[in-house]
Amino acid sequence: MTAEVRKPAMVVGIDDSEHSFYALQWTLRRFFSTAGSPFQLVVVHSKPSLTSVVGLAGPGAADVLPFVDSDLKKIALLTIERAKDLCSAFAVGDIQYEILEGDPRNALCEAVEKHQAEILVVGSHGYGAIKRAVLGSVSDHCAHHAQCTVMIVKKPKPNN
Amino acid sequence: MEAGPEPVAAEGGAANEHNKKMTVLVAVDDSEGSLYALSWALDNLFTPGGAAHASGKTAALGRLILLHAQQPLQHFMHPNLYSYLLSLLDNNQYITAVYATSSVIDSVRKAQEQNSRNLLQRAAQICTSKLVKAETVIVDGDPKDVICHVAEELQADLLVVGSRGLSKIRRIGGIAEANR
Repeated sequence: MTAEVRKPAMVVGIDDSEHSFYALQWTLRRFFSTAGSPFQLVVVHSKPSLTSVVGLAGPGAADVLPFVDSDLKKIALLTIERAKDLCSAFAVGDIQYEILEGDPRNALCEAVEKHQAEILVVGSHGYGAIKRAVLGSVSDHCAHHAQCTVMIVKKPKPNN
Repeated sequence: MEAGPEPVAAEGGAANEHNKKMTVLVAVDDSEGSLYALSWALDNLFTPGGAAHASGKTAALGRLILLHAQQPLQHFMHPNLYSYLLSLLDNNQYITAVYATSSVIDSVRKAQEQNSRNLLQRAAQICTSKLVKAETVIVDGDPKDVICHVAEELQADLLVVGSRGLSKIRRIGGIAEANR
């Protein structure tokens, strides 16, 4: 009788930035390209909440909200589709995809807890990246607050 | 027909990017966190199926380098009274400031070097006990700068550091100057 050993989870947080897709690709290449990877891959996309995107409270704001909301949903779904395409090129079985609501910083830390992940992977910049910032605010927050090992994948700068 | 000036891949046959050796740099210091991080890296990267281990070919094993950054003594010790007094005025982060003669400095430096060697020996032993070969490097300087420079110089793919507190931080050594 073979016992089903559950592999520890590796959560990869993505947004629609190039940095996070580079991180996903790097992770797939390094950790999931040979058969028998010791990890179970969970791809998590945090859909920004309405309030974080629509900061205005003027007249007519209420009318804008449903459009912004459905737009955000569309972007989230497209992002996940893009991630699925990327993963399919690596022939990894059994990948979980999730869309979470709210601030990505908290959402990722919660996802780690939910999946009891051993590793959280994030790109170094993403939402609201300021060009000069050393580390994006989400990856910085996760590095300090996630309850597991955090792997920050940096996209190499092109050599000019 | 692939004839031409292709560089011969050391691994022969499939020069597949997926099988490229991963260079892992582990920064170690005296803290418990950093030796834990080393064990973690060994267990998760250098075991079969792990990222630094390509099953089958021993030649394709990743490269493990242990780095210890030695804080230069000048930060803690001063060869003369003048620099000692200056350091007191200076609002720096170093807690200890000692006025010491050169012979004291020498013996402290020797002790520090011995300490570093012992530390790396312990770390190397952990690697050997898990059947992983490790290279060791000691560099003088502020760990923050040293680690980044060495990671860049060695073209590390992955940088592993321990951390105090609840979370363990692992950062990828960047290529070029992405590593800050």
